[in-house]
Amino acid sequence: MASGLISTMSSPVPNPTANVTRRGFVQLTFGWLAGAFATAASLAGAVRFLIPNVLYEPSLRFKAGRPEDYPDGSVTFLEEERVFLIRKGNTYRCLSATCTHLGCTVDRADSGYHCPCHGSVFDDMGVVKGGPAPRALEWFLVTLSKDSRLLVDKSQTVASDKYLVT
Amino acid sequence: MNTPLPKQLWQRFQRSVMGRSIFRVGLPDSKLERAQAMVSSFLLHVQPAKTHRHSLQPGYSLGLGLISLYLFFLLVGTGVLLMFYYVPSTEHAYDAMKDLQYVVSAGLLIRNMHRWAAHLMVLFVMLHLCRVFYTGAYKRPREFNWVIGVTLFLLTLGLSFTGYLLPWDQLAFWAITVGTNIAGYAPVVGPKLKYLMLGGNTVGQEALVRFYALHVIVLPGIAGLLMAIHLWRVRKDGGLSRPDEPGEVVEQTELGRLPGNKTYGLMELARGTTPQVGVDPEDLVLSWPHLIFREMLLFLLVVTVLLFLAIFWNAPLEEMANVVHPPNPAKAPWYFLGLQELVSYSALWGGVIVPGLLVAVLVLLPYLDRNRQGVGRWFARERVIANTIFSVCLVVAIILTIIGTCFRGPNWSWQEPWKQPPPHSEGH
Repeated sequence: MASGLISTMSSPVPNPTANVTRRGFVQLTFGWLAGAFATAASLAGAVRFLIPNVLYEPSLRFKAGRPEDYPDGSVTFLEEERVFLIRKGNTYRCLSATCTHLGCTVDRADSGYHCPCHGSVFDDMGVVKGGPAPRALEWFLVTLSKDSRLLVDKSQTVASDKYLVT
Repeated sequence: MNTPLPKQLWQRFQRSVMGRSIFRVGLPDSKLERAQAMVSSFLLHVQPAKTHRHSLQPGYSLGLGLISLYLFFLLVGTGVLLMFYYVPSTEHAYDAMKDLQYVVSAGLLIRNMHRWAAHLMVLFVMLHLCRVFYTGAYKRPREFNWVIGVTLFLLTLGLSFTGYLLPWDQLAFWAITVGTNIAGYAPVVGPKLKYLMLGGNTVGQEALVRFYALHVIVLPGIAGLLMAIHLWRVRKDGGLSRPDEPGEVVEQTELGRLPGNKTYGLMELARGTTPQVGVDPEDLVLSWPHLIFREMLLFLLVVTVLLFLAIFWNAPLEEMANVVHPPNPAKAPWYFLGLQELVSYSALWGGVIVPGLLVAVLVLLPYLDRNRQGVGRWFARERVIANTIFSVCLVVAIILTIIGTCFRGPNWSWQEPWKQPPPHSEGH
Protein backbone atom coordinates (compact mmCIF):
# COMPACT_ATOMS: atom_id res chain seq x y z
CA MET A 1 0.00 0.00 0.00
CA ALA A 2 2.65 2.46 1.08
CA SER A 3 5.00 1.67 -1.78
CA GLY A 4 2.16 2.05 -4.31
CA LEU A 5 1.41 5.42 -2.85
CA ILE A 6 4.99 6.55 -3.16
CA SER A 7 5.28 5.52 -6.81
CA THR A 8 2.15 7.50 -7.68
CA MET A 9 3.38 10.51 -5.83
CA SER A 10 6.82 10.55 -7.38
CA SER A 11 5.58 10.31 -10.98
CA PRO A 12 5.19 13.63 -12.80
CA VAL A 13 1.84 15.35 -12.29
CA PRO A 14 -0.38 14.49 -15.29
CA ASN A 15 -1.74 17.40 -17.30
CA PRO A 16 -5.46 17.40 -16.46
CA THR A 17 -6.47 18.90 -19.82
CA ALA A 18 -4.53 16.46 -21.96
CA ASN A 19 -7.26 13.82 -22.22
CA VAL A 20 -10.29 16.09 -22.61
CA THR A 21 -12.02 15.61 -25.94
CA ARG A 22 -14.57 18.03 -27.36
CA ARG A 23 -17.35 15.55 -26.68
CA GLY A 24 -16.10 15.01 -23.16
CA PHE A 25 -15.95 18.75 -22.54
CA VAL A 26 -19.53 19.27 -23.73
CA GLN A 27 -20.78 16.32 -21.70
CA LEU A 28 -19.00 17.54 -18.57
CA THR A 29 -20.16 21.12 -18.96
CA PHE A 30 -23.79 20.27 -19.57
CA GLY A 31 -23.75 17.59 -16.93
CA TRP A 32 -22.54 20.01 -14.28
CA LEU A 33 -24.82 22.79 -15.52
CA ALA A 34 -27.83 20.49 -15.36
CA GLY A 35 -26.84 19.37 -11.88
CA ALA A 36 -26.30 22.93 -10.68
CA PHE A 37 -29.59 24.06 -12.20
CA ALA A 38 -31.53 21.19 -10.61
CA THR A 39 -29.99 21.93 -7.20
CA ALA A 40 -30.64 25.67 -7.46
CA ALA A 41 -34.22 25.10 -8.66
CA SER A 42 -35.00 22.71 -5.79
CA LEU A 43 -33.52 25.13 -3.27
CA ALA A 44 -35.45 28.06 -4.74
CA GLY A 45 -38.63 25.97 -4.73
CA ALA A 46 -38.10 24.98 -1.09
CA VAL A 47 -37.55 28.61 -0.04
CA ARG A 48 -40.61 29.75 -2.01
CA PHE A 49 -42.64 26.98 -0.35
CA LEU A 50 -41.72 28.44 3.05
CA ILE A 51 -42.92 31.96 2.16
CA PRO A 52 -46.62 32.01 3.10
CA ASN A 53 -49.15 33.20 0.52
CA VAL A 54 -52.01 33.64 2.98
CA LEU A 55 -51.63 35.24 6.41
CA TYR A 56 -54.04 34.48 9.22
CA GLU A 57 -53.18 37.70 10.99
CA PRO A 58 -55.43 40.61 11.87
CA SER A 59 -55.97 42.76 8.78
CA LEU A 60 -53.72 45.78 8.45
CA ARG A 61 -56.82 47.85 7.56
CA PHE A 62 -59.39 48.07 10.30
CA LYS A 63 -62.33 50.17 11.45
CA ALA A 64 -61.81 51.93 14.76
CA GLY A 65 -65.41 52.91 15.55
CA ARG A 66 -67.14 56.27 15.27
CA PRO A 67 -65.14 59.49 15.69
CA GLU A 68 -67.40 60.68 18.51
CA ASP A 69 -66.51 57.53 20.55
CA TYR A 70 -63.21 59.20 21.38
CA PRO A 71 -63.39 62.14 23.80
CA ASP A 72 -61.61 65.36 22.87
CA GLY A 73 -57.95 65.36 23.86
CA SER A 74 -57.85 61.59 24.44
CA VAL A 75 -55.15 59.06 23.65
CA THR A 76 -56.74 55.60 23.35
CA PHE A 77 -54.77 52.36 23.18
CA LEU A 78 -56.33 49.77 20.84
CA GLU A 79 -55.08 46.40 22.13
CA GLU A 80 -55.82 44.19 19.12
CA GLU A 81 -54.18 46.50 16.63
CA ARG A 82 -51.39 47.78 18.89
CA VAL A 83 -51.94 51.47 18.01
CA PHE A 84 -52.85 54.67 19.83
CA LEU A 85 -55.82 56.65 18.51
CA ILE A 86 -55.40 60.33 19.30
CA ARG A 87 -58.13 62.96 19.11
CA LYS A 88 -57.48 66.66 19.42
CA GLY A 89 -60.49 68.87 18.68
CA ASN A 90 -61.85 67.54 15.43
CA THR A 91 -58.55 66.03 14.26
CA TYR A 92 -57.81 62.30 14.41
CA ARG A 93 -54.46 60.56 14.14
CA CYS A 94 -53.16 57.05 14.67
CA LEU A 95 -49.74 56.31 16.20
CA SER A 96 -48.04 52.91 16.10
CA ALA A 97 -47.43 51.31 19.52
CA THR A 98 -44.72 49.03 18.10
CA CYS A 99 -41.27 50.17 19.18
CA THR A 100 -39.00 50.78 16.20
CA HIS A 101 -36.12 49.18 18.11
CA LEU A 102 -37.08 45.53 18.56
CA GLY A 103 -40.84 45.41 18.24
CA CYS A 104 -42.03 45.55 21.85
CA THR A 105 -45.29 47.34 22.64
CA VAL A 106 -44.67 50.83 24.02
CA ASP A 107 -46.58 52.17 27.04
CA ARG A 108 -48.23 55.59 27.39
CA ALA A 109 -46.23 57.69 29.84
CA ASP A 110 -47.19 60.99 31.49
CA SER A 111 -45.83 62.79 28.48
CA GLY A 112 -44.96 60.68 25.48
CA TYR A 113 -44.34 56.95 25.38
CA HIS A 114 -41.75 54.55 26.72
CA CYS A 115 -40.72 51.02 25.75
CA PRO A 116 -40.34 48.55 28.63
CA CYS A 117 -37.97 46.21 26.83
CA HIS A 118 -34.89 48.35 26.29
CA GLY A 119 -35.92 51.72 27.64
CA SER A 120 -36.53 53.78 24.51
CA VAL A 121 -38.35 57.05 25.22
CA PHE A 122 -40.60 58.88 22.73
CA ASP A 123 -42.32 62.26 23.04
CA ASP A 124 -45.99 62.95 22.26
CA MET A 125 -45.19 63.13 18.55
CA GLY A 126 -43.42 59.75 18.62
CA VAL A 127 -39.99 61.35 18.20
CA VAL A 128 -37.11 59.49 19.91
CA LYS A 129 -36.03 61.27 23.10
CA GLY A 130 -33.75 58.57 24.46
CA GLY A 131 -32.80 54.93 24.33
CA PRO A 132 -31.74 52.73 21.44
CA ALA A 133 -34.73 53.24 19.09
CA PRO A 134 -33.38 54.24 15.65
CA ARG A 135 -36.53 55.95 14.29
CA ALA A 136 -39.63 57.75 15.48
CA LEU A 137 -42.84 55.79 16.01
CA GLU A 138 -44.85 55.53 12.80
CA TRP A 139 -48.07 57.39 12.01
CA PHE A 140 -50.72 55.48 10.10
CA LEU A 141 -53.20 56.78 7.55
CA VAL A 142 -56.63 57.56 9.07
CA THR A 143 -59.62 58.09 6.77
CA LEU A 144 -63.37 58.10 7.18
CA SER A 145 -65.28 55.12 5.78
CA LYS A 146 -68.60 55.48 3.92
CA ASP A 147 -70.52 54.55 7.06
CA SER A 148 -68.72 57.32 9.02
CA ARG A 149 -66.30 55.10 10.90
CA LEU A 150 -62.61 55.83 11.41
CA LEU A 151 -60.62 53.67 9.01
CA VAL A 152 -56.97 53.00 9.86
CA ASP A 153 -54.56 51.54 7.32
CA LYS A 154 -51.38 50.21 8.98
CA SER A 155 -49.84 49.43 5.61
CA GLN A 156 -49.68 53.16 4.83
CA THR A 157 -47.54 55.43 6.96
CA VAL A 158 -47.95 59.19 6.78
CA ALA A 159 -45.95 62.22 7.85
CA SER A 160 -46.45 63.31 11.46
CA ASP A 161 -48.28 66.52 10.41
CA LYS A 162 -51.01 64.67 8.45
CA TYR A 163 -54.32 64.06 10.20
CA LEU A 164 -57.99 63.48 9.54
CA VAL A 165 -60.33 66.45 10.08
CA THR A 166 -64.01 65.71 10.58
CA MET B 1 -11.08 -17.70 43.17
CA ASN B 2 -14.85 -17.69 43.16
CA THR B 3 -16.57 -16.10 40.20
CA PRO B 4 -19.52 -13.96 41.34
CA LEU B 5 -22.93 -15.30 40.39
CA PRO B 6 -23.94 -12.51 37.94
CA LYS B 7 -20.73 -13.03 36.03
CA GLN B 8 -21.30 -16.80 35.97
CA LEU B 9 -24.80 -16.30 34.57
CA TRP B 10 -23.52 -13.82 32.03
CA GLN B 11 -20.79 -16.17 30.90
CA ARG B 12 -23.27 -19.02 30.53
CA PHE B 13 -25.53 -16.81 28.40
CA GLN B 14 -22.56 -15.76 26.35
CA ARG B 15 -21.55 -19.29 25.52
CA SER B 16 -25.06 -20.08 24.27
CA VAL B 17 -25.88 -19.90 20.55
CA MET B 18 -27.85 -16.70 21.05
CA GLY B 19 -25.24 -15.06 23.26
CA ARG B 20 -22.47 -15.75 20.77
CA SER B 21 -24.53 -14.36 17.90
CA ILE B 22 -25.14 -11.06 19.74
CA PHE B 23 -21.84 -10.43 21.50
CA ARG B 24 -19.07 -11.73 19.31
CA VAL B 25 -16.39 -11.22 21.94
CA GLY B 26 -18.25 -10.90 25.18
CA LEU B 27 -16.77 -9.79 28.45
CA PRO B 28 -13.11 -9.71 27.50
CA ASP B 29 -10.35 -10.99 29.71
CA SER B 30 -7.16 -11.05 27.69
CA LYS B 31 -5.64 -7.97 26.05
CA LEU B 32 -6.46 -9.36 22.63
CA GLU B 33 -10.11 -9.80 23.58
CA ARG B 34 -10.28 -6.30 25.00
CA ALA B 35 -9.06 -4.85 21.73
CA GLN B 36 -11.42 -7.11 19.79
CA ALA B 37 -14.35 -6.02 21.95
CA MET B 38 -13.75 -2.40 20.97
CA VAL B 39 -13.44 -3.17 17.28
CA SER B 40 -16.26 -5.68 16.89
CA SER B 41 -19.03 -3.71 18.58
CA PHE B 42 -20.89 -1.06 16.57
CA LEU B 43 -21.31 1.21 19.56
CA LEU B 44 -17.76 0.82 20.82
CA HIS B 45 -15.91 0.93 17.52
CA VAL B 46 -16.48 4.69 17.36
CA GLN B 47 -13.58 4.74 19.78
CA PRO B 48 -10.06 3.44 19.32
CA ALA B 49 -8.89 0.10 20.69
CA LYS B 50 -6.11 1.92 22.49
CA THR B 51 -6.13 5.38 23.98
CA HIS B 52 -3.26 7.73 24.72
CA ARG B 53 -2.64 8.38 28.40
CA HIS B 54 -2.59 12.10 27.73
CA SER B 55 -6.21 11.95 26.51
CA LEU B 56 -7.28 10.23 29.70
CA GLN B 57 -5.93 12.90 32.01
CA PRO B 58 -9.06 14.53 33.42
CA GLY B 59 -7.22 17.82 33.78
CA TYR B 60 -6.56 18.11 30.07
CA SER B 61 -9.93 17.83 28.35
CA LEU B 62 -12.04 18.12 31.52
CA GLY B 63 -14.51 15.89 29.66
CA LEU B 64 -16.32 18.97 28.40
CA GLY B 65 -17.08 17.71 24.90
CA LEU B 66 -18.29 14.38 26.22
CA ILE B 67 -20.52 16.11 28.78
CA SER B 68 -22.04 18.18 25.95
CA LEU B 69 -22.68 14.97 23.99
CA TYR B 70 -24.31 13.29 27.00
CA LEU B 71 -26.51 16.35 27.53
CA PHE B 72 -27.55 16.18 23.88
CA PHE B 73 -28.58 12.53 24.33
CA LEU B 74 -30.51 13.40 27.49
CA LEU B 75 -32.18 16.30 25.67
CA VAL B 76 -33.27 14.01 22.83
CA GLY B 77 -34.62 11.49 25.34
CA THR B 78 -36.57 13.97 27.48
CA GLY B 79 -37.56 15.97 24.38
CA VAL B 80 -39.17 12.96 22.71
CA LEU B 81 -41.12 12.28 25.90
CA LEU B 82 -42.34 15.90 26.02
CA MET B 83 -43.48 15.62 22.39
CA PHE B 84 -46.11 13.05 23.41
CA TYR B 85 -48.00 15.77 25.30
CA TYR B 86 -46.98 19.04 23.66
CA VAL B 87 -49.18 20.62 20.95
CA PRO B 88 -47.61 23.37 18.83
CA SER B 89 -50.70 25.57 18.80
CA THR B 90 -51.14 29.00 20.35
CA GLU B 91 -54.39 27.77 21.91
CA HIS B 92 -53.09 24.53 23.40
CA ALA B 93 -49.34 24.96 23.96
CA TYR B 94 -49.63 26.78 27.28
CA ASP B 95 -52.27 24.32 28.54
CA ALA B 96 -49.95 21.46 27.62
CA MET B 97 -47.23 23.06 29.73
CA LYS B 98 -49.63 23.33 32.67
CA ASP B 99 -50.62 19.68 32.16
CA LEU B 100 -46.98 18.65 32.18
CA GLN B 101 -46.50 20.56 35.41
CA TYR B 102 -49.56 19.44 37.33
CA VAL B 103 -51.23 16.45 35.66
CA VAL B 104 -48.76 14.23 33.83
CA SER B 105 -46.86 11.71 35.97
CA ALA B 106 -43.24 12.86 36.23
CA GLY B 107 -44.11 15.56 33.69
CA LEU B 108 -42.60 18.29 35.83
CA LEU B 109 -39.39 16.31 36.30
CA ILE B 110 -39.01 15.58 32.59
CA ARG B 111 -39.60 19.21 31.65
CA ASN B 112 -37.19 20.40 34.35
CA MET B 113 -34.55 17.96 33.12
CA HIS B 114 -35.04 19.17 29.55
CA ARG B 115 -34.75 22.80 30.61
CA TRP B 116 -31.68 22.33 32.78
CA ALA B 117 -29.96 20.07 30.26
CA ALA B 118 -30.54 22.77 27.61
CA HIS B 119 -28.96 25.48 29.80
CA LEU B 120 -26.11 23.17 30.78
CA MET B 121 -25.48 22.17 27.18
CA VAL B 122 -25.07 25.81 26.13
CA LEU B 123 -22.71 26.31 29.08
CA PHE B 124 -20.65 23.19 28.42
CA VAL B 125 -20.40 23.75 24.68
CA MET B 126 -19.04 27.23 25.50
CA LEU B 127 -16.59 25.78 28.03
CA HIS B 128 -15.53 23.11 25.52
CA LEU B 129 -14.84 25.86 22.98
CA CYS B 130 -12.72 27.71 25.55
CA ARG B 131 -10.81 24.50 26.42
CA VAL B 132 -10.02 23.83 22.76
CA PHE B 133 -8.82 27.41 22.37
CA TYR B 134 -6.64 27.54 25.48
CA THR B 135 -4.97 24.22 24.62
CA GLY B 136 -4.36 25.25 21.00
CA ALA B 137 -6.19 22.13 19.90
CA TYR B 138 -7.61 23.70 16.73
CA LYS B 139 -4.26 23.73 14.95
CA ARG B 140 -3.24 21.49 12.07
CA PRO B 141 -4.68 19.02 11.25
CA ARG B 142 -7.74 19.91 13.28
CA GLU B 143 -8.59 23.28 11.68
CA PHE B 144 -11.79 22.18 9.98
CA ASN B 145 -13.00 20.28 13.01
CA TRP B 146 -12.87 23.61 14.88
CA VAL B 147 -15.11 25.10 12.17
CA ILE B 148 -17.56 22.22 12.63
CA GLY B 149 -17.37 22.80 16.37
CA VAL B 150 -18.23 26.51 16.02
CA THR B 151 -21.16 25.51 13.79
CA LEU B 152 -22.31 23.09 16.50
CA PHE B 153 -22.07 25.91 19.06
CA LEU B 154 -24.31 28.10 16.89
CA LEU B 155 -26.72 25.18 16.38
CA THR B 156 -26.86 24.71 20.15
CA LEU B 157 -27.86 28.37 20.55
CA GLY B 158 -30.42 27.93 17.73
CA LEU B 159 -31.87 24.84 19.40
CA SER B 160 -32.18 26.69 22.66
CA PHE B 161 -33.69 29.78 21.00
CA THR B 162 -36.31 27.80 19.05
CA GLY B 163 -37.18 25.78 22.15
CA TYR B 164 -37.66 29.01 24.08
CA LEU B 165 -40.84 29.93 22.17
CA LEU B 166 -42.63 26.61 22.62
CA PRO B 167 -44.13 27.11 26.14
CA TRP B 168 -45.97 30.16 24.72
CA ASP B 169 -45.67 32.14 27.94
CA GLN B 170 -44.72 35.78 28.36
CA LEU B 171 -41.02 34.92 28.57
CA ALA B 172 -41.22 32.93 25.33
CA PHE B 173 -43.27 35.40 23.34
CA TRP B 174 -41.23 38.52 24.08
CA ALA B 175 -37.83 36.85 23.88
CA ILE B 176 -38.71 35.64 20.37
CA THR B 177 -40.20 39.01 19.41
CA VAL B 178 -36.95 40.70 20.41
CA GLY B 179 -34.76 37.99 18.86
CA THR B 180 -36.45 37.95 15.47
CA ASN B 181 -36.43 41.74 15.34
CA ILE B 182 -32.65 41.62 15.84
CA ALA B 183 -32.47 39.33 12.79
CA GLY B 184 -34.58 41.92 10.96
CA TYR B 185 -31.71 44.41 11.28
CA ALA B 186 -29.42 42.29 9.09
CA PRO B 187 -28.49 44.20 5.94
CA VAL B 188 -30.49 43.55 2.71
CA VAL B 189 -32.01 40.18 3.69
CA GLY B 190 -33.00 41.16 7.27
CA PRO B 191 -36.72 41.95 6.85
CA LYS B 192 -37.23 39.02 4.43
CA LEU B 193 -35.42 36.68 6.81
CA LYS B 194 -37.61 37.80 9.69
CA TYR B 195 -40.76 37.27 7.58
CA LEU B 196 -39.53 33.79 6.61
CA MET B 197 -38.69 32.86 10.21
CA LEU B 198 -42.04 34.01 11.55
CA GLY B 199 -44.10 32.93 8.55
CA GLY B 200 -45.75 36.37 8.76
CA ASN B 201 -45.31 39.81 10.26
CA THR B 202 -45.81 39.00 13.94
CA VAL B 203 -45.07 36.17 16.33
CA GLY B 204 -48.15 33.98 16.04
CA GLN B 205 -49.37 30.49 15.14
CA GLU B 206 -47.22 30.24 12.01
CA ALA B 207 -44.08 31.23 13.93
CA LEU B 208 -44.86 28.65 16.63
CA VAL B 209 -45.17 25.79 14.13
CA ARG B 210 -42.01 26.86 12.33
CA PHE B 211 -39.98 27.05 15.53
CA TYR B 212 -41.42 23.69 16.57
CA ALA B 213 -40.36 21.99 13.32
CA LEU B 214 -36.91 23.55 13.59
CA HIS B 215 -36.60 22.57 17.24
CA VAL B 216 -37.70 18.93 17.09
CA ILE B 217 -36.33 17.76 13.75
CA VAL B 218 -34.35 20.19 11.57
CA LEU B 219 -31.78 21.52 14.04
CA PRO B 220 -31.29 18.31 16.07
CA GLY B 221 -30.93 16.39 12.80
CA ILE B 222 -28.22 18.70 11.50
CA ALA B 223 -26.55 18.87 14.91
CA GLY B 224 -26.56 15.06 15.25
CA LEU B 225 -24.98 14.62 11.84
CA LEU B 226 -22.32 17.26 12.54
CA MET B 227 -21.58 15.68 15.93
CA ALA B 228 -20.93 12.37 14.19
CA ILE B 229 -18.54 14.07 11.75
CA HIS B 230 -16.95 16.01 14.64
CA LEU B 231 -16.21 12.80 16.56
CA TRP B 232 -15.12 10.90 13.46
CA ARG B 233 -12.60 13.61 12.67
CA VAL B 234 -11.26 13.54 16.22
CA ARG B 235 -10.60 9.83 15.64
CA LYS B 236 -9.02 10.33 12.24
CA ASP B 237 -6.78 13.12 13.50
CA GLY B 238 -5.30 10.73 16.04
CA GLY B 239 -7.46 11.35 19.10
CA LEU B 240 -7.29 14.40 21.32
CA SER B 241 -4.56 16.92 20.63
CA ARG B 242 -1.39 16.55 22.67
CA PRO B 243 2.11 17.93 22.63
CA ASP B 244 4.74 16.32 20.39
CA GLU B 245 6.46 13.57 22.25
CA PRO B 246 10.20 14.00 22.80
CA GLY B 247 12.55 11.57 21.11
CA GLU B 248 9.91 10.33 18.75
CA VAL B 249 10.80 8.61 15.51
CA VAL B 250 10.25 11.16 12.79
CA GLU B 251 11.55 10.18 9.40
CA GLN B 252 12.14 12.28 6.33
CA THR B 253 10.81 10.29 3.37
CA GLU B 254 9.50 10.95 -0.11
CA LEU B 255 6.11 11.55 1.49
CA GLY B 256 7.55 14.34 3.58
CA ARG B 257 7.84 14.41 7.33
CA LEU B 258 5.91 11.60 8.88
CA PRO B 259 3.77 12.73 11.75
CA GLY B 260 5.09 10.98 14.77
CA ASN B 261 2.24 11.57 17.13
CA LYS B 262 -0.50 9.62 15.40
CA THR B 263 -1.99 6.53 16.91
CA TYR B 264 -3.44 3.70 14.94
CA GLY B 265 -6.13 1.29 15.99
CA LEU B 266 -6.04 -2.30 14.90
CA MET B 267 -7.86 -1.77 11.66
CA GLU B 268 -7.02 1.79 10.80
CA LEU B 269 -4.99 2.83 7.85
CA ALA B 270 -5.08 6.53 7.18
CA ARG B 271 -4.59 7.71 3.62
CA GLY B 272 -1.50 9.74 2.92
CA THR B 273 0.43 8.67 5.98
CA THR B 274 2.37 5.59 6.79
CA PRO B 275 1.90 3.77 10.06
CA GLN B 276 5.21 3.35 11.73
CA VAL B 277 5.45 -0.38 11.35
CA GLY B 278 7.38 -2.02 14.10
CA VAL B 279 7.35 1.04 16.30
CA ASP B 280 5.17 0.40 19.29
CA PRO B 281 3.74 3.75 20.29
CA GLU B 282 4.38 4.52 23.87
CA ASP B 283 1.91 5.64 26.45
CA LEU B 284 -1.09 3.85 25.01
CA VAL B 285 -3.49 1.94 27.19
CA LEU B 286 -6.34 -0.34 26.19
CA SER B 287 -9.59 1.61 25.84
CA TRP B 288 -11.37 -1.28 27.53
CA PRO B 289 -11.47 -0.68 30.47
CA HIS B 290 -9.49 2.54 30.89
CA LEU B 291 -11.53 4.79 28.59
CA ILE B 292 -14.90 3.04 28.80
CA PHE B 293 -14.88 3.07 32.59
CA ARG B 294 -14.15 6.81 32.76
CA GLU B 295 -16.83 7.55 30.19
CA MET B 296 -19.49 5.62 32.07
CA LEU B 297 -18.49 7.27 35.31
CA LEU B 298 -18.82 10.69 33.70
CA PHE B 299 -22.25 9.79 32.35
CA LEU B 300 -23.41 8.82 35.82
CA LEU B 301 -22.08 12.11 37.14
CA VAL B 302 -23.93 14.12 34.48
CA VAL B 303 -27.22 12.29 35.13
CA THR B 304 -26.81 12.75 38.87
CA VAL B 305 -26.21 16.49 38.64
CA LEU B 306 -29.07 16.91 36.14
CA LEU B 307 -31.51 15.01 38.37
CA PHE B 308 -30.40 17.03 41.37
CA LEU B 309 -31.07 20.31 39.54
CA ALA B 310 -34.38 19.06 38.09
CA ILE B 311 -35.67 17.87 41.44
CA PHE B 312 -34.83 20.99 43.42
CA TRP B 313 -35.34 23.81 40.90
CA ASN B 314 -38.39 24.08 38.67
CA ALA B 315 -38.19 25.38 35.13
CA PRO B 316 -39.88 28.79 34.96
CA LEU B 317 -43.30 29.21 33.40
CA GLU B 318 -44.72 32.72 33.34
CA GLU B 319 -48.22 33.85 32.48
CA MET B 320 -49.63 32.96 29.10
CA ALA B 321 -48.26 35.03 26.23
CA ASN B 322 -49.89 38.46 26.09
CA VAL B 323 -49.36 40.25 22.80
CA VAL B 324 -50.20 43.63 24.31
CA HIS B 325 -48.11 43.87 27.46
CA PRO B 326 -44.44 43.00 27.39
CA PRO B 327 -43.05 42.11 30.82
CA ASN B 328 -40.87 44.85 32.23
CA PRO B 329 -37.99 44.30 31.75
CA ALA B 330 -38.32 41.79 28.90
CA LYS B 331 -35.24 39.60 29.14
CA ALA B 332 -33.82 36.96 26.81
CA PRO B 333 -32.26 33.73 28.22
CA TRP B 334 -29.00 34.32 30.10
CA TYR B 335 -26.68 33.38 27.24
CA PHE B 336 -28.29 36.07 25.08
CA LEU B 337 -28.32 38.76 27.78
CA GLY B 338 -24.84 39.98 26.83
CA LEU B 339 -26.19 40.40 23.33
CA GLN B 340 -29.34 42.12 24.63
CA GLU B 341 -27.18 44.51 26.66
CA LEU B 342 -25.31 45.38 23.45
CA VAL B 343 -28.62 45.70 21.60
CA SER B 344 -29.81 48.22 24.18
CA TYR B 345 -27.09 50.58 22.94
CA SER B 346 -27.64 50.00 19.23
CA ALA B 347 -29.58 47.24 17.51
CA LEU B 348 -27.54 47.30 14.32
CA TRP B 349 -24.13 47.38 16.03
CA GLY B 350 -25.01 45.23 19.01
CA GLY B 351 -27.36 42.81 17.31
CA VAL B 352 -25.76 42.32 13.91
CA ILE B 353 -22.32 43.81 13.31
CA VAL B 354 -20.48 42.92 16.55
CA PRO B 355 -21.83 39.35 16.88
CA GLY B 356 -21.47 38.83 13.11
CA LEU B 357 -17.80 39.81 13.22
CA LEU B 358 -17.20 37.70 16.33
CA VAL B 359 -18.68 34.61 14.67
CA ALA B 360 -16.68 35.26 11.48
CA VAL B 361 -13.41 35.56 13.43
CA LEU B 362 -14.30 32.47 15.46
CA VAL B 363 -14.94 30.40 12.32
CA LEU B 364 -11.79 31.60 10.55
CA LEU B 365 -9.60 31.41 13.68
CA PRO B 366 -7.50 28.35 12.71
CA TYR B 367 -6.71 29.99 9.37
CA LEU B 368 -5.89 33.37 10.93
CA ASP B 369 -3.69 32.02 13.73
CA ARG B 370 -0.74 30.45 11.90
CA ASN B 371 1.35 29.95 15.02
CA ARG B 372 2.12 26.21 15.15
CA GLN B 373 3.48 26.31 18.69
CA GLY B 374 1.88 25.33 21.95
CA VAL B 375 -0.48 22.52 20.96
CA GLY B 376 -1.82 20.24 23.63
CA ARG B 377 -0.97 22.31 26.71
CA TRP B 378 -3.12 24.68 28.71
CA PHE B 379 -2.13 28.36 28.41
CA ALA B 380 1.06 27.61 26.47
CA ARG B 381 3.52 30.47 26.79
CA GLU B 382 4.09 30.47 23.01
CA ARG B 383 0.46 31.47 22.54
CA VAL B 384 0.38 34.36 24.98
CA ILE B 385 -0.93 36.90 22.41
CA ALA B 386 -3.76 34.69 21.14
CA ASN B 387 -4.70 33.71 24.68
CA THR B 388 -4.73 37.33 25.82
CA ILE B 389 -7.00 38.48 22.97
CA PHE B 390 -9.38 35.57 23.55
CA SER B 391 -9.44 36.19 27.30
CA VAL B 392 -10.25 39.87 26.87
CA CYS B 393 -13.19 39.04 24.56
CA LEU B 394 -14.35 36.39 27.01
CA VAL B 395 -14.18 38.73 30.00
CA VAL B 396 -16.10 41.45 28.11
CA ALA B 397 -18.78 38.90 27.16
CA ILE B 398 -19.05 37.71 30.76
CA ILE B 399 -19.28 41.28 32.10
CA LEU B 400 -21.99 42.18 29.56
CA THR B 401 -23.91 39.03 30.48
CA ILE B 402 -23.67 39.81 34.20
CA ILE B 403 -24.83 43.39 33.60
CA GLY B 404 -27.75 42.19 31.47
CA THR B 405 -28.69 39.51 33.99
CA CYS B 406 -28.29 41.25 37.34
CA PHE B 407 -28.02 44.98 36.81
CA ARG B 408 -30.98 45.72 34.55
CA GLY B 409 -34.33 46.52 36.07
CA PRO B 410 -37.58 47.96 34.71
CA ASN B 411 -37.18 49.90 31.44
CA TRP B 412 -33.72 48.32 31.16
CA SER B 413 -32.48 50.98 33.56
CA TRP B 414 -29.46 50.47 35.82
CA GLN B 415 -30.51 48.60 38.93
CA GLU B 416 -28.15 47.29 41.58
CA PRO B 417 -29.42 43.82 42.50
CA TRP B 418 -28.90 44.46 46.23
CA LYS B 419 -31.27 47.46 46.18
CA GLN B 420 -35.05 47.28 46.08
CA PRO B 421 -36.47 48.23 42.69
CA PRO B 422 -38.33 51.57 42.81
CA PRO B 423 -42.11 51.39 43.08
CA HIS B 424 -43.31 50.87 39.54
CA SER B 425 -46.70 51.71 38.13
CA GLU B 426 -47.76 49.93 35.00
CA GLY B 427 -50.03 52.78 33.93
CA HIS B 428 -52.85 50.66 32.59
